[in-house]
Amino acid sequence: MKNTIKQVFHSGKFVVGFVIFITILLTCIIYPLFVKDDPLAMLGQGNFFKPGTYVSQEEVALEKSYTLKLPREFSKLEMVLDMDTRSQIQQFLIKYAEIPEADIDVTNAEGLVQLWKANYDPDVKYSGMTSAKRKSFRRLNNEIIAAQRDTGVIIAEEGEDGLEKSKTIKDTDFVNTKDVQTRTFILGTDNFGRDVLTELVAATKSSLKIGLIAGLVATAIGLVLGLLAGYMGGIVDNLITFVTNLFTVIPSFVILILISYSVGDKARGIMVVAVIIGITSWPWTTRSVRSQVISLRNRDHVNLSKLSGHSMFRIIFTDILPYIASYVVMAMILQISSGILAEAQLSMIGLGPATTTTATLGLMMQWAMTYSAHLNGSWWAYFPVVVIIALISFSLNLMNTGLDQVFNPQLRD
Amino acid sequence: MKGVRKYYGQKIFWYILTLIFAVILNFVLPRLMPGNPVSAIASRAASGMTDASAIQKVYNEYAEKFGVNLPMYQQFFRWFKNAIRGDFGISFSQYPRTVSDIIKSAVWWTIALQLPAIIVGWILGNILGAIAAYIRGVFDKAILPLFLFIGNFPAFGMATILMYIFAIKLRVAPASGGYGFDLIPNASWTFFKSIISHYQLPFWSIVLITIGGQAIGMRSMSIYELNADYVKYSRFLGIKDRKIVGYVFRNAMLPQITGLALSLGTMMGGALVAEMIFSYPGLGTTLLSAVNGQDYPLLSACTLIITIMVLIANLVVEILYGIIDPRVKANQQD
Amino acid sequence: MGKPMLEVKHLKTKYVTRFHEDVYAVDDVSLVVEEGKSLGIAGESGCGKSTLALSLMGYYFAPLHYISGDIIVDGKNISGMNPDDVRKTVLGSDVAYIPQAAMNALNPTQKIIRFIEDVFQAHGIKMTKKEIYDMARERFAELGLPEEVLQKHAVELSGGMKQRTVIAISTILSPKVLIADEPSSALDVTSQKMVIRMMRQLMEKGYIKSMIFITHELPLLYNVTDDIMVMYAGQIVEWGTAKEMVFDPIHPYAKGLMGSIIVPEEGMKTHALTALKGTPPNLKNPPKGCRFADRCPYAVPTCQALAPEPKEFEEHRMYRCLMSVRKLREVYENGTRPEFETEFD
Repeated sequence: MKNTIKQVFHSGKFVVGFVIFITILLTCIIYPLFVKDDPLAMLGQGNFFKPGTYVSQEEVALEKSYTLKLPREFSKLEMVLDMDTRSQIQQFLIKYAEIPEADIDVTNAEGLVQLWKANYDPDVKYSGMTSAKRKSFRRLNNEIIAAQRDTGVIIAEEGEDGLEKSKTIKDTDFVNTKDVQTRTFILGTDNFGRDVLTELVAATKSSLKIGLIAGLVATAIGLVLGLLAGYMGGIVDNLITFVTNLFTVIPSFVILILISYSVGDKARGIMVVAVIIGITSWPWTTRSVRSQVISLRNRDHVNLSKLSGHSMFRIIFTDILPYIASYVVMAMILQISSGILAEAQLSMIGLGPATTTTATLGLMMQWAMTYSAHLNGSWWAYFPVVVIIALISFSLNLMNTGLDQVFNPQLRD
Repeated sequence: MKGVRKYYGQKIFWYILTLIFAVILNFVLPRLMPGNPVSAIASRAASGMTDASAIQKVYNEYAEKFGVNLPMYQQFFRWFKNAIRGDFGISFSQYPRTVSDIIKSAVWWTIALQLPAIIVGWILGNILGAIAAYIRGVFDKAILPLFLFIGNFPAFGMATILMYIFAIKLRVAPASGGYGFDLIPNASWTFFKSIISHYQLPFWSIVLITIGGQAIGMRSMSIYELNADYVKYSRFLGIKDRKIVGYVFRNAMLPQITGLALSLGTMMGGALVAEMIFSYPGLGTTLLSAVNGQDYPLLSACTLIITIMVLIANLVVEILYGIIDPRVKANQQD
Repeated sequence: MGKPMLEVKHLKTKYVTRFHEDVYAVDDVSLVVEEGKSLGIAGESGCGKSTLALSLMGYYFAPLHYISGDIIVDGKNISGMNPDDVRKTVLGSDVAYIPQAAMNALNPTQKIIRFIEDVFQAHGIKMTKKEIYDMARERFAELGLPEEVLQKHAVELSGGMKQRTVIAISTILSPKVLIADEPSSALDVTSQKMVIRMMRQLMEKGYIKSMIFITHELPLLYNVTDDIMVMYAGQIVEWGTAKEMVFDPIHPYAKGLMGSIIVPEEGMKTHALTALKGTPPNLKNPPKGCRFADRCPYAVPTCQALAPEPKEFEEHRMYRCLMSVRKLREVYENGTRPEFETEFD
């Protein structure tokens, strides 16, 4: 056993798949520990915000006044007066206002502006100045005036006598964004203004759950039927093989749609969908288990057990199951990945889990499509979902190929 | 020769049996659930329509058609008789169109899209897989994971990606529909051109997905065959490598045909969802509108026609396979 | 003495395992097969018999690699030739091969006659399909194979039929040397007999000029071949006529090997069956001294240190042991281990 596991982890393909899968799984577990928000909380008011950092305007307006200690870059004036502009002002003051250079402190923006206002008159035609220069000074003057203006927005609330002015926000008011609620939506928001990343993590978790349950159900059914058919043979085998062949040829997609539709919206929770997927995808497992069991059935060790009078269950558990375990595990890995895909496709048709409290990858996809994210270019609402589905299925398949190479040496490179 | 005829006879018999079973499933499944389907249909019809007389008409028609009060088996035969004549009733959501009319207009779009796409994807995938197996080395190392990754993309995912790149960003292809929304189907050149340009994105998204999956399968089959004894023996008889590669790829490709048959249902399911993304006027979109419109008769007719299509495709593949692979014949004679 | 059809001088090849280890499975092998003669090669499994068979073809592909030595087919040295030329002009037409497991040696989805056409085409023989068919039919009839086989696929043939078909295809171009690697080992007794009869017919009718027959079944060699060569751990340890090898083996290994067979002839009744103990050495790392020393019941400490060279005796025979023929015979006579200070030649 230990040796087998060692061998499995020597397969490059398996390891790559395993690492990707575990990374996704751990993200689903660890991320919610840090981000405790409800994944379906509607944070943005409006749909499909691009990825980026957003400040809540409401909060800015209703906060009490702060005394802010702002770095210089936050002053409008400082922003207008870059070093180049300052030296132009300085030259102007020296040349036209005849202020000695020593009295001009270019590092003090306020002082500089005071001197400028006292000495510059936009209506005067300064001699010896090109018209371009004149225009540029005029523009500068306007900018300075605008930067110093502090008429802002008046906030009013409805009071007893109609609107009451409650607060004025000056143009020069700044807000320390650290104290204000900002949200960074790494993957933007969806159509309901929900944070796609948080939602995606929660959805991945529930989709993995669906895949796992579907895989377990399918594997359990497939294993039991395959063991019965392969070990007992005869009429039981014929019957099971017939049914299995039926369900391999009739597309499971169709049966899935029929059952999901028949179950109705009320009953169709996550668990129910998972079980439905499980009970429509067992034929593959049955097939492979059956053929394995048939090849094992007449091996010497099984015959020996039979001759020793061991019961069928004992023979199955000790002489057959250990030999087919690797196939069963491989089949189950594939079932998980196809279960996740089935949920997504089902949801996109509108027959996925009927729930508003949980997200699944399929539901996210469906919401995005319903609100035309794919037509209005809001790639962040569906592209991460697609990538996650592809990654999960890629990693599981890679693990499966790795296992296959370990257990079927003929395929080795 | 007798064995061969028996083989095909058995196959066809078996497929007919499967079809009957599928039909029964289509009938029974909805009825296994609590409540009678007609009242459920009626209440759904009521929520889907506003015209009271239309609702009443639909209800009466279905009550008659289903024979609600008759025993189950009689209900089945009544329904079956209608189904065979192609009478699936009237659609709720697209009243007063009949279901068979809707299906008839959708099914050709789906066949025209999926059949060529799956075949082209299968051929390209097999060629690439064979090359990867034969050349190995860098090509194989780089291309294989790419195939594997692409092959694991859901069809609808590929559809959205192609759409974003080619329809939204580059604007070289239309984003949705089967032809320009401003056109009326006719035999003109403009209409034909519009159909072709709308065909591209759905077609290539199905092709790409198919390529990925098939290439992987073909690659491992080819590697398996390249190590077979007959390769060594042929070499020692002085036969040229090119010829031997021909033997190998033929032998590796044949099981791929069965593989195609077995995965056809799954592939079609995926492709139908891809159709939905592009609002392609095929069965996928019809299915979606049936679910959204709570249109039970349309839904069940859709699933039935999809099943029949998959069954026919499977049967054709199996018969073809029996003709070209002598191994099947040999097995039958044992 | 006839004209030598195949002459091999100091052939050395290796194969490389999955773990990139070199295995020297054919180490300094020299042999001659004359026209009209057949040579049997015997040995335990893993002694390098099959590798030798492949190496004798003169065409190498991974995991088998050529190291040194000469292979001369009817006077033409093929070991220095361009591999593509070897394939085109030697394989199939001069040197033909019958693989160990004929079960899967034929392409399952191709008709036998199509494959025969490919063989003709590969050697640039300009014949119409009709001519090829007629010739193949004739040859098949001569070898007792039904004509229908030509129109069948390999999967439709039974095991024995498949093997005989493979033999007929291998020899269709009347090669100078046929190398048969255990052609009958996987078959039931009836089919085995038919295969052996067919091999004899091939020689008698002149469809092949000489043959090398490799097997682990010694009685078969005694019945089929003129000479027998015994191989151990990639080297030839003894070589003589079939009769000499069965009744008078000199090398301790050959002695042990022959001791494990029963030949229904006079004088064999008193012969006790013996079995060799132990397993052959690992060829990834062959021992420095005599390769058989570890298992040899007559080994002395010198055997572990000194590698014996092949020595000729009785004109045409050859063996590879440190002890002299006289001493060995003496030891066998007394059934005792030699003295520590034993004499070497």
